[in-house]
Amino acid sequence: MAVAQTDIETLATADKPRGYWSGVGRRFLKDKVAVAAGCVAGGLILMAIFAPWVAPQDPFDGTMIRRLSPIGTEGYPLGADELGRDMLSRLIYGARLSLFMGVTPVLIAFVIGSAIGIAAGYAGGWVNSITMRVLDVFYAFPSVLLAIAISGALGAGILNGLLSLTVVFIPPIARVAESVTTAVRKLEYIEAARASGASAFTIVRAHVLGNVLGPIFVYATSLISVSMILAAGLSFLGLGVSPPNPEWGLMLNTLRNAIYVQPWLAALPGVMIFLTSISFNMLSDGLRSAMDIKQ
Amino acid sequence: MSDAILSAHNLVKHFNAGGWGAARKVVRAVDDVSFDVAPGETLGVVGESGCGKSTTARLLTHLLPSDRGEVRFRGRVAGTEVPLKEFRRHVQMVFQDSYASLNPRMTMLDAVAFGPTVHGVDQPEARRRAGALLERVGLDPARFGPRYPHEISGGQRQRVNIARALAFDPDVIVLDEAVSALDKSVEAQVLNLLTELRRERGLTYIFISHDLNVVRHISDRVMVMYLGEVVEIGPTADLYTAPRHPYTEALLAAMPSLDPDRRTMEAPLQGDPPNPIDPPPGCRFHTRCARAFGPCPGTAPVPALVGRRHLASCHLNTVKEAAE
Amino acid sequence: MLIFTARRIAYTIPIMLGVSLVCFALVHISPGDPLVSILPPDASVELQEQLMAIYGFDRSYPEQFFRWLGRALQGDLGNSIATGRPVTSEVMNAVGNTLILAVTATIIGFTLGGLFGFVAGFFRDSWIDKLASTLAVVGVSVPHYWLGMVLVIIFSVELGWFPATGAGPGGSSQWAWDWEHMSHLVLPAVTMSVIPMGIVARTVRALVADILQQEFVTGLRAKGLLDRGVLAHVIKNAAPTALAVMGLQLGYLLGGSILIETVFSWPGTGFLLGQAIFQRDLPLLQGTILVLAMFFVILNLVVDVVQSALDPRLQRG
Repeated sequence: MAVAQTDIETLATADKPRGYWSGVGRRFLKDKVAVAAGCVAGGLILMAIFAPWVAPQDPFDGTMIRRLSPIGTEGYPLGADELGRDMLSRLIYGARLSLFMGVTPVLIAFVIGSAIGIAAGYAGGWVNSITMRVLDVFYAFPSVLLAIAISGALGAGILNGLLSLTVVFIPPIARVAESVTTAVRKLEYIEAARASGASAFTIVRAHVLGNVLGPIFVYATSLISVSMILAAGLSFLGLGVSPPNPEWGLMLNTLRNAIYVQPWLAALPGVMIFLTSISFNMLSDGLRSAMDIKQ
Repeated sequence: MSDAILSAHNLVKHFNAGGWGAARKVVRAVDDVSFDVAPGETLGVVGESGCGKSTTARLLTHLLPSDRGEVRFRGRVAGTEVPLKEFRRHVQMVFQDSYASLNPRMTMLDAVAFGPTVHGVDQPEARRRAGALLERVGLDPARFGPRYPHEISGGQRQRVNIARALAFDPDVIVLDEAVSALDKSVEAQVLNLLTELRRERGLTYIFISHDLNVVRHISDRVMVMYLGEVVEIGPTADLYTAPRHPYTEALLAAMPSLDPDRRTMEAPLQGDPPNPIDPPPGCRFHTRCARAFGPCPGTAPVPALVGRRHLASCHLNTVKEAAE
Repeated sequence: MLIFTARRIAYTIPIMLGVSLVCFALVHISPGDPLVSILPPDASVELQEQLMAIYGFDRSYPEQFFRWLGRALQGDLGNSIATGRPVTSEVMNAVGNTLILAVTATIIGFTLGGLFGFVAGFFRDSWIDKLASTLAVVGVSVPHYWLGMVLVIIFSVELGWFPATGAGPGGSSQWAWDWEHMSHLVLPAVTMSVIPMGIVARTVRALVADILQQEFVTGLRAKGLLDRGVLAHVIKNAAPTALAVMGLQLGYLLGGSILIETVFSWPGTGFLLGQAIFQRDLPLLQGTILVLAMFFVILNLVVDVVQSALDPRLQRG
């Protein structure tokens, strides 16, 4: 479905360890688009971390006099929002919650989904079938719908938003993890390890993880872009982050009524979401081709 | 034979080939296979591809659970009387694909050292042993130890695989087409290494191959398999000079000979083996057998002693005996 | 073919059961008493218990689930807490509007995306190809709700060509195929069409490039067949895959329309969901999601069956 099916055989066998990572690095650095995307993404993360030093003003401090000041106002280069707060500072501070809300679910889903998928893939048989059928149920929901359904039922809040997005991303990651692991499991070096009398846990730790985590991780990075859009979308709907916290989706929501007054000001938070999403997308594409994983 | 080091007793393995209930199809990969291996001997196993050789190897090493039957090590049932972990120290395996059987992210030294660490040997000791083993199989540990599988040749990788099997100081090694993928000259070197190791360490081999020349060279006894069954088993010299099953005869006739006068142009075996999902009734070979007669399509032959330690499952033998 | 269809349907039934279980669970994972929003704050304990019994909340979960499922199968999804009207009729009204939007968006998205992808695949590595690839990445990376806002800013606020919100004049929710209504459809449909456009362009480009490299096309060219002949073959061979992508994308649009409908106040399921969330109207939320998810499951089934009818090779495995 929306999940890119990766060419499992290549993933499992085409790895070339000695100099493999340096080869990946070299190929990645040659890819100008990917490097540029990486710089943008890195810049956004730095901006989020150092927001208090970068932002010119307090993002919570507003006066009604400056309400909806246009872009280019003296001292307010990007204008002021509906409560007269400095737009630039809010966009900079907004990177913190927005990135956190977008990246965290993918990271948690990466851990849980990989664990489920690797366990199912390594166990095989009926354990695998049952796990996959259960995941199919979650697959039956379009991802936007599932995220909104769960956080709609749980109600607004950062934790509820994170939870619902994590639930959305576990099934696709688990599915990729399962197929990569199933492919690796059939290789003879796993049989050889079993013939050595090693326990399933030891085999997974010593022989499976190193060969499957790379491809699963690359797949997970490709979900960050979707997650950013969805996370901001939840806040845009009034779920997820609540005011007065600066978060791009929420800012888009509160400024929506201002489009007849200051249309371009209202669109600014979306530019940030777009920028983040596209840079993570290109970064992931670059990583994928540098690691020579076919799509 | 009670002095057998490893024995198979009525091993059965069927694979699902789809379908449910009455329409369920099974591949009879291994069907009621029994044999003994004496300590220090090499048993060759031959047959066309798909005859169940590799499945037998995996059943013997308990990499696949058998549907029925048991494997005994020194008379004790593997998996119950001998715990699996202990059994695996005694019975090791070398696979056909030297590349696929090595973890692409592990150095050769770590690959050999992995097994002993599983069995409680500490890391430095395991690595020291691994180095010694690499040396023994003809690879300089300083040079090859830190390398990865893709950096060395097929022959070198197979030596590593042998070293890995040796790391447990096993009694039996199952070699599943272990030299088949190698170049002829490399194959000869690896075979010589195997022969030396056997002498040196008193190893027992189960040597699976489709190459009858190689099997003849290394084996004391040979077992011939057809569609999941053992059709003939006997001492190498007897079996190669006086085969007692038409299938063995056909295989030997198809064998490429180094003597040009003995090369035949016509293939003695016509067609492919029948589908193992639905094997023919009676003797499974009768559909391709030039000498099939009366009882063949109806009754399955039972193994009969046709010489010293020589068994064959063919009606020709029993009928002849009855006539005498 | 029949066996394949039957097997595919048999496979879908447990999925549907699972989907209904998830939808059922939605109400029960929500914090607080499910009755809180309809109970007067000073309600007596007796009234509370009476209502619990009426809604069946005092029974065990499995019992509640099967009673709920049984009613849902008969088309009864309960009543909206906010309006008191049956959820089924509310959802069915909204589904019609969402379908109009989603189908229009699918048509636009596939026409443009297919065109881009086709041209890009035919002239591989040309500037057109690069442009199409860039557009594809932009298409999947853009937050579509924001794109909707930008389109409103450009075409409603600045240019005044199209209305910004609603589905018809005077906020009417009765749809008609006249210009008054269709002008309301333009902006949301174009916004939504961007979702499948990038993916379609990418898929079609890969398909065309792949098919052009295949031997039979080279053979046709060698025979001196005109490019038109090649084109016909390419289209014939690409159709099953394209159809599958189209079906799936339509499904995603049905589910993904929520945010866009909110931006444009389009009176569809997404808008309904937005209201349900805002008013914490759980029966409405549950019913809408159930209907949308079932739509998606059935659409998947239909796509699979039709696709395998077009390309029997897919029936295996």
